[in-house]
Amino acid sequence: MRKNIFVKLCAAVLICLMITSLIPAQDVWAAADDKEKIVLRVCNWEEYIDLGDWDEEETIDLESGDIIGENSLVEDFEEWYYETYGKEVVVEYSTFGTNEDLYNMITLGDVYDIVCPSEYMFMKLMAEDKLVPLSDDFFDEADENNYYVNGVSPYIRNVFDNHQIGGEPWSKYAAGYMWGITGIVYNPEVVSKEEAATWRILDNPKFKRQVTIKDNVRDSYFAAVGALKRDLLISDDFKSAPDYSVRLESEMNDVSEETIQKVQDYLQDVKDNVYSFETDSGKSDMVTGKVVANYQWSGDAVYSLDQAEEDDFILNFAVPEESTNIYFDGWVMLKCGVEGDPDKQHAAEAFINFCSRPDNAIRNMYYIGYTSVIAGGDDERIFEYADWCYGAEEDEEDVVEYPLGYFFSGDAEDEDYYITAPAEQLDRQLGAQYPSADAMARSSIMVYFDNEKNDAINQMWINVRCFNIYDVPVWAWVLTVCVLCVLGWLFFRAKQREKMYK
Amino acid sequence: MHIFRFSRKTLGIPYALFLLLFVVSPLIVLFYYAFTNGEGQFTIANFTGFFTDPNTMGTLCYSFAIALVTTLVCLLIAYPVAYILAKSHLKKKSVLVMLFIMPMWINFSLRITALKEILTLIEGNLAYYPFLNAVCGMTYDFLPFMILPLYNTISKLDDSLIEAAKDLGANDRAAFFKITLPLSVPGIVSGVSMVFLPAMTNYVVLDMLYNSTYIMGSLIGSYFAAYNWHGGSMIALILLAIICAFTLLRRGMEDDDQTIGGALL
Repeated sequence: MRKNIFVKLCAAVLICLMITSLIPAQDVWAAADDKEKIVLRVCNWEEYIDLGDWDEEETIDLESGDIIGENSLVEDFEEWYYETYGKEVVVEYSTFGTNEDLYNMITLGDVYDIVCPSEYMFMKLMAEDKLVPLSDDFFDEADENNYYVNGVSPYIRNVFDNHQIGGEPWSKYAAGYMWGITGIVYNPEVVSKEEAATWRILDNPKFKRQVTIKDNVRDSYFAAVGALKRDLLISDDFKSAPDYSVRLESEMNDVSEETIQKVQDYLQDVKDNVYSFETDSGKSDMVTGKVVANYQWSGDAVYSLDQAEEDDFILNFAVPEESTNIYFDGWVMLKCGVEGDPDKQHAAEAFINFCSRPDNAIRNMYYIGYTSVIAGGDDERIFEYADWCYGAEEDEEDVVEYPLGYFFSGDAEDEDYYITAPAEQLDRQLGAQYPSADAMARSSIMVYFDNEKNDAINQMWINVRCFNIYDVPVWAWVLTVCVLCVLGWLFFRAKQREKMYK
Repeated sequence: MHIFRFSRKTLGIPYALFLLLFVVSPLIVLFYYAFTNGEGQFTIANFTGFFTDPNTMGTLCYSFAIALVTTLVCLLIAYPVAYILAKSHLKKKSVLVMLFIMPMWINFSLRITALKEILTLIEGNLAYYPFLNAVCGMTYDFLPFMILPLYNTISKLDDSLIEAAKDLGANDRAAFFKITLPLSVPGIVSGVSMVFLPAMTNYVVLDMLYNSTYIMGSLIGSYFAAYNWHGGSMIALILLAIICAFTLLRRGMEDDDQTIGGALL
C-alpha cells in the first residue's frame, strides 16, 4: 500500500510538471502582473554594457559636461522609457558567452526579444528567417529620440547598407552596437613592430612557444588565410587594383577545399609553434612574461593595454599588414519574441536608441573598452571623448595629427576630426580603439558560410586539435600489446591458483 | 482512500524526483540525440562514425594515455602514503590525513593557477611539455581521491593476519606482497576508478595548463559549438558505456577478491 502512495505521488508530481511545462511560464506571471508593463528580454554578451556604480574619480569631464555611470544602463533605460513614452518597461537582461551558445539557446527554445550577436551570426539568423526587420519609424531622422540613425558613423552605416544576405542589406534587420578589428598585442621590448604586424608571427620560429592564438575556429581561420596569402595580399599590384576591397574580401573568405586543406596544414604547424590556444589568459600571461605577443580583438586589446599600464607594463597593438578582420556586434530582434507585438518592438528599438545616445555610448566604451558604432552625428561628445582619452597634453612634443574623419564624418580628410595625439599612441590604445584609415583600408569582414562549408571548416578545426590515431607511434602499440599480455597472464595465473586452493 | 502517512519511504521522494529530473530525463534526451540525425530520423551513423573517425579514436587513445599515466602516478604516490599513515602509531594521525585532504577544500581553478606558476618556474616554458603538464595537473587534482580509499582499506586490515604470516616464517617483504597488497586490492580498485574516469574528461586542467590537444571532454564541447549535437551526444554516451563497463569489471573483481581472500584464510 505504501508503495502505492509513493507511485501515486510521483505520478501526481510528474503530471503537474508536464502541465506547467506546457504553459509558457511568462503567460502565468504576465496574467498576474499589470498588463501595462512591457517585458523586454535582452540577451547580450557577458560584460558588454555599463553596469554603473562608478567612483567619483572616474567621471569623464568633457567640455560639454560630465559623464558618469551611476546606475546600470539597463535601469536608466527603464526610467528613460517611462519618462519619454509614458509606458513602463521591465528589462529581463541575460548574457551569453559565444555566438554559438546564443544560437544553441535560441534553437533550444529560449525566447528573447532582442539579442546582440556578431555579424556572421546575425547573417545566419537572417538567412534562416528568424529576425524581425527594424521598423520605418526607427529610421526616421526627424525624430530626435532616434539616436541610432542620427548618430551612427557613416562608415558603419555604409558597411551595414552594402552587405547583403539573400538580397537584403544588413541594415534592414540589424543595428550596430560595437565594432573592432583583429590584431596582435605585443611586448615592444621583445618584438619589433615589423615582426608583430603580420599574421606570420604565429609561425615565426623566433617566438617559438611565446605567442598565443585565439581558441576559436573563425579567428584562427582568418589569421591562417592572411598568413598563407601574404605574398599576394601585400603585393603592389593587388593593393592598387581598383576593386581592391572587393577582391580582398573574396580572398579572405576563400573556403575552397584546397584552401581549407592548406589552412589545416598551416594551423597544425602553428599549433606546434604557439604557446597555446587561449580564451582569456592572454593578458595575464603577457604581464607575467610567459608570452610576448597574442592575437586579440581590438576591444580586448584596449582593455589589456590599459590593465598592463596599471602594472607599469607597456604593450603595443599592431594591425597585420596583410588584412585585418573587421567585426561588428549588432542588435537584432527575434521573431520568436517580438513578432506581432508592436509595443514590444517599440521598446526594443527604443533600447537600441538609448544605447546609441552619445553619453550612453561613451559610458559603454569606457566600461568595456570596445568601440561604439556611434559617431554622434551633430553631437560632438563622442569625438570629444576620443580626444579626452588620447589627445596629447599641451606641453607634449612628439605629437602627430591623427585623422579620424573616415569614422566621424565620412570624409577621411575632414579637418574637424583630427586628434593631436602623442606619437606612441598610434601603436597603443588609440590605434586599437579607432584604427587608422590605413588599417581600415585593408580590413575585411568575414561572412557567414553555408552549412556545408561551415561543417568543412569545423571538421578542419577538429582535425587540427585532435590527436590522430594514425600518429600513435609504433612503440606505443607494441607497449600496449605487451602490457595487455602481461595483465592477461597475471589474471590467468590468479585464476589457476584459485582453483588450486579450492 | 488512505490517509497520507509519513513513513520512511517518504524520505526517498525528494531523491526520486531529483533522479527523475536530473538523471533520467537528461539521459533520455542524450539517447534521443545520439541515435538521430539532423532531420530527427533514427540512425546509427553517429555510432559507426565514432569508431571510424581517426580523430575521435585518436582522442580516445590520448585521453586513455593521460588517464592511465595519471592513475599510475597517483597510485605510486598514494599507496606508500596511505600505508605509512595507516600503519603508523602516531597519536594525531587524523591531522596528517587532513593535511592530504586539505587541498580539496581550496578552489580547484585557484590551485591549478598556482600550479601553473610553479611549473613555469621549474620548466621555464610550459608549452614545451603539454603531456607532462596535463599529468601533473591531474595528479595534483585527483591525488586525495586515491589516498582516501587506500587509507580506509589498509587501516581496516587485521594485523593478526600479518602476525600469523610471520609466525609461519614469512619475512616482511613476503608478508606485504602475500597479505597486505592482495587484501588492499578493493581500495586500489575504488581509488583507480575515482581517478581514471574523471581524468579522461577533465579538460579544464588541460586548458589551464596550455595543452592544445583535445581530450574527450573538449571534443564533446567542440561538437556542440559546431551545432553537431548528435555526434556530441554519441561521444558522451560511449563514455558512459565505458564507465559502465569499468564499474561492472570492478564489481566482478571485488567478488573475486572475496573468494581469493577466503581462500587465503
